[in-house]
Amino acid sequence: MKPILLQGHERSITQIKYNREGDLLFSVAKDPIANVWYSVNGERLGTYTGHTGAVCCSFTKSIWNVLTGSADNSCRLWDCETGKQLALLETSSAVRTCGFDFSGNIIMFSTDKQMGYQCFLNYFDLRDPQQIEDNQPYQSVPCNESKITSAVWGPLGEFVIAGHENGEINQYSAKSGEILKTAKEHTKQINDIQSSVDLTMLISASKDCTAKLFDSTSLEHIKTFKTERPVNSAAISPIMDHVVMGGGQEAMEVTTTSTRIGKFEARFFHAAYEEEFGRVKGHFGPINCVAFHPDGKSYSSGGEDGYVRIHYFDPHYFDFELEA
Amino acid sequence: IDSVVVVDSVPQVGPELEFYIFSDKTINYDSVKNYVFRGFHMHWLEDPDCRDQYSVIYESGEQTAIFSNDSKEPILVEERAVKTYVRWSLKGTYLATFHQRGIALWGGEKFKQIQRFSHQGVSLIDFSPCERYVVTFSPLMDTKEDPQAIIIWDILTGQKKRGFHCESSAHWHIFKWSPDGKCFARMTQDTLSIYEIPSMSLLDKKSLKISGIKDFSWSPGDNIIAFWVPEDKDIPARVTLMQFLSRLEIRVRNLFNVVDCKLHWQRQGDYLCVKVDRTPRGSGIVTNFEIFRMREMKESIIGFAWEPNGGRFAVLHGKSPRINASFYHVKSNGKIDLIKMFDNQQANSIFWSPQGQFMVLAGLRSMNGALVFVDTSDCTIMYIVEHYMASDVEWDPTGRYVVTSVSWWSHKVDNAYWLWTFQGHLVQKNNKDRFCQLLWRQCPPTLLSQEQIKAIKKDLKKYSKIFEQKDRLSQSKASKELVDKRHLMMEEYRRYKDSAIQLYNQQRELRLQLRGGVDTDELDSNVEDWEEEAIEFFISEEIINLGDLM
Repeated sequence: MKPILLQGHERSITQIKYNREGDLLFSVAKDPIANVWYSVNGERLGTYTGHTGAVCCSFTKSIWNVLTGSADNSCRLWDCETGKQLALLETSSAVRTCGFDFSGNIIMFSTDKQMGYQCFLNYFDLRDPQQIEDNQPYQSVPCNESKITSAVWGPLGEFVIAGHENGEINQYSAKSGEILKTAKEHTKQINDIQSSVDLTMLISASKDCTAKLFDSTSLEHIKTFKTERPVNSAAISPIMDHVVMGGGQEAMEVTTTSTRIGKFEARFFHAAYEEEFGRVKGHFGPINCVAFHPDGKSYSSGGEDGYVRIHYFDPHYFDFELEA
Repeated sequence: IDSVVVVDSVPQVGPELEFYIFSDKTINYDSVKNYVFRGFHMHWLEDPDCRDQYSVIYESGEQTAIFSNDSKEPILVEERAVKTYVRWSLKGTYLATFHQRGIALWGGEKFKQIQRFSHQGVSLIDFSPCERYVVTFSPLMDTKEDPQAIIIWDILTGQKKRGFHCESSAHWHIFKWSPDGKCFARMTQDTLSIYEIPSMSLLDKKSLKISGIKDFSWSPGDNIIAFWVPEDKDIPARVTLMQFLSRLEIRVRNLFNVVDCKLHWQRQGDYLCVKVDRTPRGSGIVTNFEIFRMREMKESIIGFAWEPNGGRFAVLHGKSPRINASFYHVKSNGKIDLIKMFDNQQANSIFWSPQGQFMVLAGLRSMNGALVFVDTSDCTIMYIVEHYMASDVEWDPTGRYVVTSVSWWSHKVDNAYWLWTFQGHLVQKNNKDRFCQLLWRQCPPTLLSQEQIKAIKKDLKKYSKIFEQKDRLSQSKASKELVDKRHLMMEEYRRYKDSAIQLYNQQRELRLQLRGGVDTDELDSNVEDWEEEAIEFFISEEIINLGDLM
């Protein structure tokens, strides 16, 4: 089936996320707006305007709120339906990653190491409006050694799993802020961490050209998927033993890139065999983020080219099997 | 055409029907009145199906016919019962017929007679390359005072331009024309005479004295004459290349023990091959070839490579991005022929298979790794592929496989080596972290004799059966290993997943609590909460003309 092309951003896409039911797809980019689209046909539902710099996003699974973080040193809470900004939390440096916990009551976000400011992992409890009003997180964890580049919540909201610039993955308690577990499997920066739909597993995408599968609770390293390019993003299929990865050369580092159509591909690996079995072309530049629809029947990718592509799988994708 | 311009009694109309306007010369209008336009001579070239014509003499010389070449069957154009030999002029404009009294020239759509020249007993003729002049020879007509053996005629005016003596017709074509048609030359005893057109007089008013000159030949491309002179006492034989206008000898090569030489120019005058028959040891004749390269190639040469085990070579020439790949074949008689030229190639290097015949034209590094696999036996392109940013190409010693690679030394990402068959099929991609270099291990020369190799080639079917069986076995072995490995990996994965799901199920209560009793474990866990909405959206549009419906 032909992919649906979403053109709503003028600069490279930084993150895409499906809501819990999967009927909505959020996209954020280096331009200061966040878009929300109907995933069934690519029609744009609306735009959240307010940020003035690059953004990341998250949304609640049960309550209709969207959380966005930006390089304009702020984290904002929005009403998903109306697009109204509900809260504004200012920070001292760019917000890199943000997220709601399983209950939807607690938000976390990390700030960058910039302008003399440290990297912090901040926790706010939304049930206490005072915290929002005073812009006072109940917990603020400094990360001295290596800044956080991506983070997701654990399955029950007891900890946040964060990936760092030096390739480390740490579990930070949501109560005390202390590091509960560490995994030192990657050799270079973690670009993206995504959980499986049931939150039991997570996949980390790294500049070291691999993606790795971990158990969320134990941080045990389960699988490794190897490529020859830095991996920018990876996602776990909700229904098949598949993972999808997107990546490419960092634009600033390489002077010549193959600009031919189809050079940048989303790559599908078998989760158990660690073998690549398929590729999807179409982006004109590196792929910055990938996401599976919660029902596993489609996936989306957002690229450096500013486009988001929604792909519905052909029936033969579900029948495909590697000989075993 | 309604007017003709004449300068110095010569109508300025060539076979190409071009007009020259000389505004500063006096025009002689009397001559114009006498000039009759002879009809359109190029008619046969306008055949709508581009058929060529050919002449046929049959009925033991009694009948001559012209046919147009149609692949279904020949189409008769003209037929004459005329007992004659015929000759076509060099560009096909005229057909000459021989008669006792002289020759006649015919042409145009209906093969009307265009011109005739009176030369009793004419037996041989020659056209100038430009078709302006025809040379006739008759053994009968020569007298000391009035040389009549050889006559040069102006085809357009019908005028006799000049007559020459001729000792013998053994060396017809007596007159050799220069490629630009401005001169013709003739060799007599110890002399080379060069005449100018249109005056028909000797260039520089004198002939060249070349003692012992045996043969000469114009370059087909430039105003250069090649000639050879045999050994004379102590002075060795030599081949000389002379720029005839300046009389400058641009090349001289001495040859020893020479019996005979034949001059062979390459078609464009790029090369001269002199076939030299020698007796180096006094008895027995040995032949070798002296090759003169005439061109500094006007284009810069980017690459040159001889075919191993063969007589071909490939040249890359031109300026990026318009680079051409030319393939030449050196034939057994020493002639060098251009087999084919591929233009507009993305190539900066040539890689021949060590066994010859096959080769890869590669555009390495800055040319992004374009690869063209060529079979030079018929110069066909087998495959055009790409290994993006490839920096090196290495053939295996047998010529079966080619490796292209991206070396970390030249490019910091995508370092890998790829394996291709000699035909250009990709077999493997091997990524290696910071891959730098791959070198094949060479093999010592074969221990098999030529007869043994021939015998093996004869029995190739038998051997290939055995090899195929082996391949099948090893394939299934590899598959089996892979299958076993996968089986283990899946078991391990399943075990992990089972324990993770166990934990997940144990945590169900906690999840319900966190979400205020709402079950969100499955996508359809609480369907009651769902709102059904029917959405209509646009899929495609089809325009149907009402007219088509009726």
